[in-house]
Amino acid sequence: MDIQDLEKLNDMLDNESDLREKIRDKINDLDKKTRTMVGNLNKIHSTRPESIPALVGAIRPVLASCGETFGGLAELIPPHQFWRWKDMWCHSLRTAVFVAAMIEYLTNRGLLSLQATASTLGIKDEWQDRVALSAEDYLHGLIGLVNELSRLAVNTVTLGNFEEPLRISAFVKDLFAGFSMLNLKNDVLRRRFDSLKYDIKKIEEVVYDVSLRKLVPTGTSEAGQIAPM
Amino acid sequence: MSFLPAFQSFRDELDDHNDRRERLIKASRDITNIAKKTIFLLHRVVLESENPFEDRSASRIKAAKQGREKLNQVQEMYASLRHELVGDRYWRYQRQVSPGLQEYIEALSFAHFLEHSTLITFQQVQDTLCDADGNPYFPLTISDYLLGASDLTGELMRFAISGFGKRGGRSNALDVCAFVRNCKADFERFTPYVRDLSKKQSVTAESLVKIEDAAYAAVVRSSEYDLSPDMLDDLVTTYLSNQNSETRRSDRWRDEDRDDDTFS
Repeated sequence: MDIQDLEKLNDMLDNESDLREKIRDKINDLDKKTRTMVGNLNKIHSTRPESIPALVGAIRPVLASCGETFGGLAELIPPHQFWRWKDMWCHSLRTAVFVAAMIEYLTNRGLLSLQATASTLGIKDEWQDRVALSAEDYLHGLIGLVNELSRLAVNTVTLGNFEEPLRISAFVKDLFAGFSMLNLKNDVLRRRFDSLKYDIKKIEEVVYDVSLRKLVPTGTSEAGQIAPM
Repeated sequence: MSFLPAFQSFRDELDDHNDRRERLIKASRDITNIAKKTIFLLHRVVLESENPFEDRSASRIKAAKQGREKLNQVQEMYASLRHELVGDRYWRYQRQVSPGLQEYIEALSFAHFLEHSTLITFQQVQDTLCDADGNPYFPLTISDYLLGASDLTGELMRFAISGFGKRGGRSNALDVCAFVRNCKADFERFTPYVRDLSKKQSVTAESLVKIEDAAYAAVVRSSEYDLSPDMLDDLVTTYLSNQNSETRRSDRWRDEDRDDDTFS
């Protein structure tokens, strides 16, 4: 190899590794935020329904601040290179999706759509080729949500809230029906999807226990008809 | 409360992605196949010719030309895959594209070496993957370039050793030895940046030792005895048959052993 060519390759690789370092800084920043949020969100398992809005309210500003970090990433990533770098932050991103979806569930008992998740996280459409929310990352986040809801079903009962498991059960069944429509190949998403049935089983056992012992007020056993708390 | 419409669109998106991925994996296998055949072709054409080891000899150029013609098939395949790899898609499917691409670079760099006795440059590889207007089908990565070029050293080891018994084979082995040694030195500085390059470097080191042993034999024997080149060839044939019994493991080797037998 002649010296000139060697130097050229070396410069290109140096630039790449500089960029990688800068991206990593941003991701560390994002990681800190998602860890804070997950830590706080963990308190839902020991929080009474009336205090949930305050808990969620404290998390929202952190969630909104993720937008700045994604904006910083969008400035760093060269055009058309989203897929080149996205593996570096997909773990943090999926956690952020989980947080956003959980907050939406706790607030409205509904599913936050992909578009709404992206805008909650401050990911702008015009960054499409640099920073975006892919269907795969979104779906990973939703599986995280189901995993957590199965825990919540158990813990709300412990706190004396016997209706919540019914709502969770209906919500998760709908989500599962959605996931069942996908043709998943043997990858991580498929393995995590396969784990959903254990969450569903766990939720159903809780529903069974509270129904059997008539802990749920009559007329509300049709889960879909329950008004939000 | 139904999420089905949203999931319907995820299904379409995932199907589209998986199908494209499968197509690219198949294409990559086909490309690997053509590249491997090209490498065999290059070995064959060069070794069957009259005096393969004269630098820039007609037979080396002829072999390189035939190899390049075969590699045109690969270039056409990349041209037809272009729309699958447009913009960001290349990066999404890089892992599916890389194996075939590296094999292609290996074959291309071997043809280039036979003709020019130099290592093909990064830009020269990229230039073969461009349309008539010079627009690349996709951006070549340094990683694929280095990993593909790294595999060249193994081919050169086979080239040097299987041609060792032929006229000029010994000085060729010395040239190849120097070339491979330089490659190894040049690539070394890139190992921290390129994943798997250090593994390739150890394979290169093994190849280098084999060529060095052959070069050693060439020097020792020609210095100790005042022999004619013909007699030296006999000695070398004996040396090679000993070496061959050590390396009988690989299929490729066995093929080349047979070639050697026909020469002796």
